[in-house]
Amino acid sequence: MDYLIEQALNGFSIGAQYSLLALGLAIVFSVMGLVNFAHGEFIGVAGYAMFAMAAMGMTNPWLLVLFAAVTVVIVALVIERIAFRSVRDAPPTTGLLTAFGVGIVLQNLFLLLVSPRPKAVPSLSALNQTVDVWGHNFTILQFLEVGVTAVAIGALVWFLKATRIGLAMRAAALDFTTVRLMGMRANRVIAFAFAISGLLASIAAIFFIARRGAIDPFMGLLPVLKAFVACVLGGFGSLPGAVIGGLLLGFVEVMLIVLLPDKLAGLRDASVFLIVGAILVFRPQGILGKRVELGDKTA
Amino acid sequence: MNTISVAESRRSPGIAFDPRLLGNARGALYLAVIAAAVGLLIMAFGSPFIIRLMATAYINLIVVVGLQIFMGNANVVNIGHAGFMALGAYFVAIFATPVMMKAVVIPNAPFGMSHVEVGALWAFFISVAMTTVIGLISGLVLVRLAGIAATILTISILVIVQGVLVTWTDLFRGAQAFFGIPKAVGPGLIILATVAALVIARMFKGSRAGVQLRASATDPLAAEAMGVDVKRLRLVAWVLGSAVVGCAGALYALYAGTINARAFYFHTAFLTLAMAIVGGMRSVTGAMVGVALLTVLLELIRVVEGGITVFGIEFPDMLGLSGLMLGVIIVTVMCFRPDGFMGGHEIEEAVAALRRRFARGKGET
Repeated sequence: MDYLIEQALNGFSIGAQYSLLALGLAIVFSVMGLVNFAHGEFIGVAGYAMFAMAAMGMTNPWLLVLFAAVTVVIVALVIERIAFRSVRDAPPTTGLLTAFGVGIVLQNLFLLLVSPRPKAVPSLSALNQTVDVWGHNFTILQFLEVGVTAVAIGALVWFLKATRIGLAMRAAALDFTTVRLMGMRANRVIAFAFAISGLLASIAAIFFIARRGAIDPFMGLLPVLKAFVACVLGGFGSLPGAVIGGLLLGFVEVMLIVLLPDKLAGLRDASVFLIVGAILVFRPQGILGKRVELGDKTA
Repeated sequence: MNTISVAESRRSPGIAFDPRLLGNARGALYLAVIAAAVGLLIMAFGSPFIIRLMATAYINLIVVVGLQIFMGNANVVNIGHAGFMALGAYFVAIFATPVMMKAVVIPNAPFGMSHVEVGALWAFFISVAMTTVIGLISGLVLVRLAGIAATILTISILVIVQGVLVTWTDLFRGAQAFFGIPKAVGPGLIILATVAALVIARMFKGSRAGVQLRASATDPLAAEAMGVDVKRLRLVAWVLGSAVVGCAGALYALYAGTINARAFYFHTAFLTLAMAIVGGMRSVTGAMVGVALLTVLLELIRVVEGGITVFGIEFPDMLGLSGLMLGVIIVTVMCFRPDGFMGGHEIEEAVAALRRRFARGKGET
């Protein structure tokens, strides 16, 4: 029973990371129809920003975290301006391939400017301390992950419901042309979408790096693939779907870690993808996605 | 004149050819001749290093062509092809490796595979057949999905194949290299296979099925309304594509003699995908152009990457430069020529357009 509770919180906290990443993907997708394959590299950007500042002698973890988040948001905005603005009206495949190119550029920049080898980022390792709560062993990080993610999602909902630009973003998901006719600048709406997506990714990145304690140039690939899976599971472009898909994925993953013997550990990722494939076969539109018939205008 | 009579008047009685077939055959011939000529010239005059580079590039070309068959016609981004390449390579390795070698490499293979040995040619056919069957099974699942969900499923295929290869140590040797495969294939055979792949892809693209599939990629609703069975066609393209990619993997194993599961993961998938994008994934000529451009360019950058001396100034190693350039090229091509270098045109169309432009230019002056 103890073990079960611990693993449940573990599933929640891993799922929370995927939810944050998936939300970022879903926001950008719903606003401009772009499948941002470079989203995982935001994790790398956050990691290397922290690494660089730590190497320059900044030790305060709060400042490091703040710096990482600001850097990721700026990088997200710059990427949008340089790469994605020119393919804004192109078909989704073009956008996906551009994003894939951007991802390769960022990965190799880390490789070229820093090192192909993993680097240690120990500043946040204090979060991995275990605490004793009612006789169960948890880490501070697990509580932070669940708590901060809940706060971030709450703030996002507030932003989308209560502010003008948030309203514009929700409307843009349905019909961008009308949003522009209402006098909203397309560039501003999309820039906000990217900034939010970058901010959420940087929160996920900080937890991710705290867990691993190290960074390497290709660390973003697997998380972003999982975030994609979370999005598709929940129904691509749906924000609640992204959160639910992320949590579901976290639980599936923890369950597999518990159930699969060590000998088959190499099949962990394979099993996750197998389960996802099976779900998609029976619900191709995802869990919260609406079934869209060909030619539906709201598609 | 209504549509039916138009269709009937076009279809002349007797043993006449479909005019489209002739055009396709001519296009395929151009591609085949160019690929064969370049390959044979390199084989005749190149240094061993250049020949080896050419052989790798041609195997990549087969992969890109196989990728183009599904991705170019159905317009679904496919990242799973490297998995099929791995399957082709490993199946051929399991069947063709001599029993003596197997006692060292995979002594505990299940199904009594450690006592089975067939000739390289048979192993090749068995391997391609098995890859095709797996392509068929995965294809039946894949055609149920469209767009980004289908892309996710292709990624799933890649991750699952890799997981099985790495975990099933008794049969695939896990993360260690599988060595001792007979080196039965030389550059000549690779050129031959490349030519065959180019012809197959070009004929498929221009065939009735290919035209219908491309129409369905442009507008699924209109295509279905015209009676096109989109799912069946996508399945055909997927299976054909995976067979071609599996063939590339098998050739690679028989050429290199040693294979490693890690070599068939995201890196290979992304590199070949980039080649398809840069050349223009909607045409077979684009596949050829993309492979040629990126192979030459990356090889040049690799020289710089290792650290060179220019005018007495020593540049340090710049690891990652080739990857960086690869990404920059993809982004630039996508921004300025979203359809790739060839813009979806085949070589005969490009030549005809050039000739027209040339003639017009002459007329004006």
